[in-house]
Amino acid sequence: MVQTRTMEILVGAFMAAGFVALFFLAMQVSNLSAISEGDGYHVTARFDNIGGLKVRSPVAMAGVRIGRVTAITFDDTTYEAVVTMLIDSNRNTIPEDTFAKIYTSGLLGEQYIGLDPGGSEEFLKEGSHISLTQSALVLEEIIGQFLFSKAEEGGDE
Amino acid sequence: MPLMESLAQLGRIGLGIFERLGRGHLLLAHILAGLGPLAVRPRLLIIQIHSVGVLSLLIITVSGLFVGMVLALQGHYTLSQFGAEDSLGIMVAAALVRELGPVVTALLFAGRAGSALTAEIGLMKATEQLSGLEMMAVDPVKRVLTPRFLAGLISMPLLAAIFSMVGVLGGHFVGIGLLGVDEGAYWSQMQAKIDLHEDIYNGVIKSLVFGFVCTWIALFQGYDATPTSEGVSRATTRTVVHSALAVLGLDFVLTALMFGD
Amino acid sequence: MRRFNGRRFFACTPSKPVDDCKTGTETIRAMPHSANSNEPLVKIRGLRFFRGDRPIFDGVDIDIPRGSITAIMGPSGTGKTTLLKLIGGQLRPQAGTIHVDGQDVHRLALRDLYKLRMRMGMLFQSGALLTDINVYENVAYPLREHTRLPQSMIRKLVLMKLEAVGLRGARDLMPAELSGGMARRVALARAIALDPMMIMYDEPFTGQDPISMGVLAQLIRRLNSASSLTSMVVSHDVHETAEIADITYVIANGEVVASGPSKEVLNSDCPWVRQFMRGEADGPVPLHFPTKRSLEEDILGEAHRKTGTCR
Repeated sequence: MVQTRTMEILVGAFMAAGFVALFFLAMQVSNLSAISEGDGYHVTARFDNIGGLKVRSPVAMAGVRIGRVTAITFDDTTYEAVVTMLIDSNRNTIPEDTFAKIYTSGLLGEQYIGLDPGGSEEFLKEGSHISLTQSALVLEEIIGQFLFSKAEEGGDE
Repeated sequence: MPLMESLAQLGRIGLGIFERLGRGHLLLAHILAGLGPLAVRPRLLIIQIHSVGVLSLLIITVSGLFVGMVLALQGHYTLSQFGAEDSLGIMVAAALVRELGPVVTALLFAGRAGSALTAEIGLMKATEQLSGLEMMAVDPVKRVLTPRFLAGLISMPLLAAIFSMVGVLGGHFVGIGLLGVDEGAYWSQMQAKIDLHEDIYNGVIKSLVFGFVCTWIALFQGYDATPTSEGVSRATTRTVVHSALAVLGLDFVLTALMFGD
Repeated sequence: MRRFNGRRFFACTPSKPVDDCKTGTETIRAMPHSANSNEPLVKIRGLRFFRGDRPIFDGVDIDIPRGSITAIMGPSGTGKTTLLKLIGGQLRPQAGTIHVDGQDVHRLALRDLYKLRMRMGMLFQSGALLTDINVYENVAYPLREHTRLPQSMIRKLVLMKLEAVGLRGARDLMPAELSGGMARRVALARAIALDPMMIMYDEPFTGQDPISMGVLAQLIRRLNSASSLTSMVVSHDVHETAEIADITYVIANGEVVASGPSKEVLNSDCPWVRQFMRGEADGPVPLHFPTKRSLEEDILGEAHRKTGTCR
């Protein structure tokens, strides 16, 4: 019965290798380690333009990731984007007058929300609203403005 | 009346297709009905996972390694034109996890395990083994086909995962070892962009679907084969052709459903 | 050797090939084998089976008496194997009934059909052994499938059955390592593993050398008398079969053309049966497959036409 034993061992090794591979893909290749759906509190912010921000985009402070975007909705009355983020629960000392801004990592990289801390004694908590925001820089607008100003300069001469 | 004749011919072909389709689905229902009783006999399943999964491991690993290495080479060439070599990790991993892992694994599986299944079942039919089981009051579909079906269904996602993993490591070897891409960038860019749900779960779902379809086709072709050596060899060819077409067609549909929102 | 109380008779029923044979048409009545019934074990009535448009059986009545060895003979292509598959419930006839031990095979629910099959053994022409397990496992297979006997018990039974066919020493061989005759004997051991009430032999002698033919013939007979089985032998090896069979049916063109005790059928005067039994090349069954055109037309067809047009 050595033969069947060998076969059973091989099958066991195969199944293990398969699950190791799945685990590898989940942990090493994907962003599972970064998601870590831990406890946290929700905070909302309104932006005129969110550019390429997506659900699950990171929320960072001083370049350190402290949360992620969980929902993006559109407000019919004010024509603004309402972004809900989940901030890690151990980051519970973020001042209420913090400034939220949409950055781009690198020239063509993905967009994320960067928080610049204010000076308030009150901290953000579940359901808080960040009122100070700056929209995403839209490359076309900047280029358009640049060309426009150049054209004006040219017209003056 | 050549027109009437060709119309009649067309009708016959159409009816034949529907007949086979119907037989295939009835067989599938029969196979699935055997899943319950199979739980009592895990040994049958282990034997089949061995012949379907373990024996396909070598070709899957070697192919995965080379595919990953080629992806890194080609990707590096293209990305370096934009100075974006750091994104090599994303490119290799996304291509493997989303597409090449499930699809190439399924194609190799159809060639390696699918054809073997068809030939085995076809020969069992030709040598009256299936009839013999029936006369021993053993349901050949439940006893012979169901374990093979389940083994294919289980093996395919695992093989695809192994393929992708080996491919990512092969890309790592070429990208970092030979082309000098930064190792930190390779992994971190990959981790930042590859999403567990969107990419990896969808990849697993794809390979489950492919495993289901490939094994089903292989078993049906074997079970439906004309019980002669010629019939079995034709059935084996049909298995590979039909599986490849089904995999590529379904891949398009699944990709459109999953990623095209 | 075998006792039959019922009247023996010989019938060569009228049919297409033999229009001149008209004898009795009574039914065979075998000695009651089991206490509970006089009924034949297998009773086939008005069986009609078509493959496409081609009739394989067109109104066949057959009785297989309990405890007997019954031979079904006929030229190749008369659907002898099909008959066994019909009895085993693997095929469904277009009309007619088949009763096995009082149960209508084709009216049974699947579960009951399987129960009935457990009591029927079938020996396929090729043996139909499972090629991926060895001889011992093959014989043990039905026991493992249908009983919950402990391993030691299964071992004893398997060795006993293998001993009965004289192959206890071959238990560790794989089916591919067996000769054709040995494979059939292993298959026989497997067929009797569950102690069935009947065994159907599909062409047991085809392609065997004289020694293994003799071994098989002796085995079939010994098993039949030792374990009070009912046996059905489908064959076109006239002499080997007639020697062991008590009753013989001859089937041709979808009908029973002769039936009765083997000796009488063997010595029948009926020309068709005589031709078959003695292997004469020409007779009521023509040597040539029927065609519409004569040989001259077939060979000289083109030339004929040419000469016809060129005057």
